[in-house]
Parts: sequence; structure tokens; C-alpha cells
Amino acid sequence: MENELIIHNLKKTGTTGVCFLNNINLALPRGSRLSVLGPSGSGKTTLLRMIAGLDIPDSGDIRFNNASILDLPPHKRNFGMMFQDYALFPHLDVFHNIAFGLKMKGMSKQEQASIVAEMLALTNLKGFENRKVDELSGGERQRVALARTLAPGPRLLMLDEPLSALDRVLRKHLLDQLTQIFSRLHITTIFVTHDHEEAFAAGSQIILMNQGGIVQNGTPKDLMHRPMNDWVRQFMG
Amino acid sequence: MDGNAIAVKTRIYTHPYVLAGLVPLVFFLVFYFYPLAGIFIRSFVPDFPSHLHIDLSFWDQVTGSQRLAHIIWFTFWQAAVSTGLTLASAFPCAFVMSHYQFKGKKFLTLCASIPFVLPAVVVAAALDASFGKNGCLGMLNIRHPLVLIFMAHVFYNFSVMLRILTSFWAGLRANIQEAAATLGAGPFQIFIHITLPLLMPAVWAASFLVFIFCFSSFGIILILGGPAYSTIEAEIYRQAAYMFNLPVASFLSLLQIGFTLVLMGLYTAFSRKAVRFAPKAGHANFKPPQKFREKAAVAGSAGFIILLCLFPLAALAGKSLVHDGQVSLIYYQAIFVNPANSIFHVPPFTAIKFSFIFAGTALIIALVTGLCAALCLNHLDRVKAKGLAAFFDPLFMLPLSTSAVTLGFGIIITLDRPPLNLRSSTLLVPLVHALVGFPFVLRAVLPALKRIPNDIREAAATLGASPGKIFRCLDLPLISGALTAGGVFAFTISMGEFGATIFTAGPRTPTIPLAIYRFLGQPGAMNYGQAMAISTLLMVVTAAGFILIEKISSNGVQQF
Repeated sequence: MENELIIHNLKKTGTTGVCFLNNINLALPRGSRLSVLGPSGSGKTTLLRMIAGLDIPDSGDIRFNNASILDLPPHKRNFGMMFQDYALFPHLDVFHNIAFGLKMKGMSKQEQASIVAEMLALTNLKGFENRKVDELSGGERQRVALARTLAPGPRLLMLDEPLSALDRVLRKHLLDQLTQIFSRLHITTIFVTHDHEEAFAAGSQIILMNQGGIVQNGTPKDLMHRPMNDWVRQFMG
Repeated sequence: MDGNAIAVKTRIYTHPYVLAGLVPLVFFLVFYFYPLAGIFIRSFVPDFPSHLHIDLSFWDQVTGSQRLAHIIWFTFWQAAVSTGLTLASAFPCAFVMSHYQFKGKKFLTLCASIPFVLPAVVVAAALDASFGKNGCLGMLNIRHPLVLIFMAHVFYNFSVMLRILTSFWAGLRANIQEAAATLGAGPFQIFIHITLPLLMPAVWAASFLVFIFCFSSFGIILILGGPAYSTIEAEIYRQAAYMFNLPVASFLSLLQIGFTLVLMGLYTAFSRKAVRFAPKAGHANFKPPQKFREKAAVAGSAGFIILLCLFPLAALAGKSLVHDGQVSLIYYQAIFVNPANSIFHVPPFTAIKFSFIFAGTALIIALVTGLCAALCLNHLDRVKAKGLAAFFDPLFMLPLSTSAVTLGFGIIITLDRPPLNLRSSTLLVPLVHALVGFPFVLRAVLPALKRIPNDIREAAATLGASPGKIFRCLDLPLISGALTAGGVFAFTISMGEFGATIFTAGPRTPTIPLAIYRFLGQPGAMNYGQAMAISTLLMVVTAAGFILIEKISSNGVQQF
């Protein structure tokens, strides 16, 4: 299958000489589901932010549908990104949070309302339209964030540790919901996590990162049964 | 530095928010630094720029003059006595406010804070209405100028002293005192050995602040002191406006700037120490007064605060409403007419009109420049250009610690000729007022901007919002409360500004404080009554502004 997202020799070094990303190469076919797994500080979030356009690499290229997107500012990429602590807009209610991306596209009020209704149904949030976001529970906030990210119909969906702010029981439940939603949408998904159970459930392809580099790239089975080296074995337990 | 690093730096410095910082910077260069530089040059080169010879003859005038030495001495000792009196009256009240919870405490706190936000001319008028020749308690015959000055300074600064001491005292951990008690210290010993040493940094910091305020007090001294009791500030005005002795006025301004800088430095040092000792918030445990002694203390300080803070204001309002022993609106009606024989050649109504026009314009200028400065500082902070932010932040606060008289004087001696002649421009007054209000806008808006988490801006960007739309749809609504508060600050400060206005406002464009000053200086019941009436109006406007700001900021806290 044709590769939709291609990352070529991506590098980023911090001002103090710390290596954030070291020669990342990656190719994702359309509709694929990738999990990015690794300990904290391994460069997962930096990679995600570069794909989103929020950070700029020192060198290398990111191509989407065969065109380099490095010069495209984040608001013109139409990539959806769900933030670790959700980054909901505190002055807007649930409806207007979800409708934000649609408004930015210049959609009419009716179009906005119908898509928001669809998203509320998808994320089991019917009836929450007029709630203030600071009245929501952690799980509800997470679902609003997901609905907001999906509403504009992004070309690529990125999730940065979407479950880390939740407690264990809720995490399991919402992980199931997320994977169900993913399987219904045919959209390329990148799921960043430090938890291998989540990585296995969310992705059909996994890259394992450490110290800014990709240590192993393969299926969940590969990682479990054919670990590249001792570090992978240790990290996978 | 390699090419990439240069590109990154260039990108930082050409960011629109950083470029926005040029607006307040140019504003400061033209209306703050240029006038102050003018004062400096004019002290030594009196005929600058036509004759470039250094003339130090003013030095003979200064050193040869008994009067000037007396004025400098008086400036210091009146400030010291005023500070001592303020401390003595606020200390017991701070004890009560920091230890007890009682009904009406909120109201009392509000009462205590109102005098501080009132313009100096209103304070002077209120003291005159209470204890002056025609005042409510005029028969007490305590209208010696010095007594009035001290009372005005205590009235004015009581709230600052009370606020600082109360918050610090309330936070002192009770368990330290309890520990001392278990070690055998009696209440008096605890106070002397534990509480007082812990309180001292706050006492010093608050006292220095009040000393600075009294040291650079202008309106109160000018109105209540008369020519016999002149401070450096008042003398700058007299030398410049009555004697046209610009070199001496310039020299006094330099002196004033120097003294203020040293005092501000000392204050900063002491408040840093106070912060180091400062207890963590949330420790305060108030209790209701139970013993008779405690109840008496609470009742006593409540009575004192109400008497101190509300009586002069009530006296002012009362005087404005009583004519010939009867309740009457005659003074308010007189505001709108201009009898032909009035020495005040424009009716007071015109002053009210100009005050509102100037305050509205100053509000807009202060909001625009303040917002630009806040956006720039916030951005510099965010891209880790902290050195630049740390340089510009205190620089932008300078108008707060510069005496308004010095500023006004510097502006009229520098902006009255090319390249920038604003002498007859009606924009001059709003520009100066905006400069004074600017730090308040910045202090209101910058923390609100910093509170906005960056990830919601990034989230908006990934949802398709351009930088302009992020500003309009996220930043602006989230700082709207702070902007409103800053705007109200700028407006009320402009309404009450006196020291710089007296230099910069032309005779045809007076403001309310100038009208009050002129009316108070004229004999006759009608002039006095009108001074009371306009002062009451100004008091109501500024107090309303202050209450509005309190409301906005308490809402803001609940929102986030």
C-alpha cells in the first residue's frame, strides 16, 4: 500500500546539545495505526509535535501525500492532535470547544451543529453541549478532547498520552472505547504512550523509542517475541 | 553562532508579538526618557540647545539658599513623621484584622482600602472639609497646616500599611508561638521575642513604601501646606511655574529622582527579605473574638477604621450638600454656570468634560501600549528569551516610581519645540496620563496572559486557527477581564492625576483636579462649596472604579 506519511532523517538538537531526535525514519501507509512507545524523555512527544508543525526540526523532511509539509504552519496542516492534558478551551462550553475547528474552517452554524451532534454521539457525550469544561470529570474531558480533534475531519490523528491523566479503571474502559472508534474511522492514527498494554491495543505497528532514536520498529508480536536487544527485552518486561 | 541559530534568533525577534513591544518602547523613549534626559541637560546647560555652555550658577543658588536646605530637610522629616503615625495607627488594627473573624470584616477591609485609591486632591479636600477653617470640626481649631498634612498622609496610606501588615501577620504560623509558649514564654515575651522579629521585615517594607509615598506627596502638600510648608515636589512646581527658575527646578527634579531611586532600592531589598520570611498562604486561622478584651479590641479598631476612613469622606459629601445651614444642591447646580466675574474663566463643567475626554483617550492609549508590552513580554518569556524580558519588565514599571511632577516638568521643557512640539496639543495630557496608567494595565494583563496554558494555543493551531485567530478567539476573550480591570485603572488614575497635569494641561483645558485646586485656593463660600461638590463627584467616580476592579478580579479568580 502507498505510504501516506514519510519521515526522513529527522533531527533535532537542543540548545544545550541534548539530542531530542536522532535520525528518525518512518513510513506510514494510509489508514494505518501506529503506536509510539518509549520511556519519558525518549522523544515521542517531540516527534508528534514536529508532525503537527508545533516544533521545527533542525534537518530532515516530513512528507505527506508525497509533498513536504515542513513549510506548512500547523493551522494549515489539518492534522488532529489530542493533547496530554486535553488543552480544552476554558472559556468555551463543550459545544463550542468541539465546534472550534469547524468555525475555523468557516462552516455555517447549521453545519457546525450537525457535525457537533455527530461527534457527541460518537463519544457518548449527548446532552453535554452546554456544560462548562471545568464541570467535567477526567473521562468526560478526554472524550470532549477527542470529539474536538475529530470534528474537523483531520487527515491524520495524533494522540499524546491520551489516557495518562486518568485512573486505572477508567483507563481500561476508555482504551476499549478509543480502539472501537479508531476501527470505525479509516484515518491514519499515531498513538503516543509509555504503557505497552496501551501501545499493543491501539496500534498495529509499534515503534519503540529511546533517547531520541527508534530502537525497534515492528508489529506488537515482533516486539514481544523478537526483541532487538537487551534494552528492548528489559523495557517490555 | 551557526546559520541555523541565527535563523532561530531572527525568527524570535521578528515575531509580531516581539515587534509589538516596539510600540511601548517608542512611547517610553519619547514621553519618559526624553523628558527626563531634558531635565538632566537643562540643569547644567540652561540654554540648551541654543547655547551650549555649562552653567553651574544654580549651584550657588541652591547652596546659598536657606529655603532650599529647609525644604529638603522638611521633605524628609514630614515623611518620617507621617510614616510613624501611619504605622502607629495601623499596627493595632492589623493585629485585630489578622487574628479575628467577625461580622462586617469584609466591609471594613473595603472601607480601609478606599482612601488609597482616591486622588490626592480629593484627600486634601476631604481633610479640609473635616478639619479646615470651614470644616465640620473646624471649631476644634486643629487646622495647623502640619496637622492637616499628617492627618491626610495617615488617612491616605493607612490602607497600604494595614494591608501589608495584616496579610503578613495572618500568615505567621500559630504553632511557632505555641512552641514558644510550651518553652515557658508568656504572651508578652512571645510578642517581643517571636512575633515582632518575624514581623519586622514586613514592617520595614510597608514603612518604606509609605515613606516613599509621603516623600513624593504633592497635591496634599500644595493644597494643605501652603507656601510655608513646601517639599521638594511642591518646590519644583513653585520654582518652575511661579519663578520660572528652570535650572533650580531641574536640579530639584534630579534630586527627587535620585532620592526616589535610592528609596525604591531600599524598599525592594526590604520587601525581598519580607518575602523570604513570608509564611505560606492558607495558614491563616481566624477565630471569633470571645473574651471581653478581644471584643473590645475588635470594636475599637472597627470604630477607628470607620472614623478614620469614612468620616473625612462623609464630611466632604456633607459639605457639598449644605449651603447656609440647609441641604441644597446649589453647589452642584453652580458647576454648570459660569458667572461673568468668576476668575476661573472656563466653567467647572468644562473641566468635567475635559477630564472624561482625557481619561477616555488615556484609557485607549494605555490599553493599546500596555497590551502590546504584555504580549511582547509574554512571548519573550515563552521563547526563553528571559534576559530581555527581565530587562524590559522593570523598565516598563518605571513610571510608578517616578514623581508625576518631575515627569510633567520634563515633558513641558522638552516637548515644546521641534522635533516634537506638543505644547498646545490636547493629546499631551492623555499621553502623560497613559504613561502613568500604563504600568497598571501591564500588571493586570501580563499575569492573565501568562496564565493561559500554551497547549490550548497549540491545540487551536492544530484545529486550523491562524495566529491572528488564536489571538482573537483565545487570548482576547481569556484576558478580557484583565483588560477591563487595567482599563478602569487607567481611567480612574487619569481622572485623579494632579502632579503631571498641573504642568501639561493648558488654561483652556483644565481637569477636575485642577478645578478643585483652583476653587480651594479662592476665598468665598461659593468657591469652597463648588470645590466640595466636584471633589465629591471625583470621589464617587474613583471609588466606583475601584469597586468595579475588585469585582472583576474576584470574578477572574473564580473563573480559572
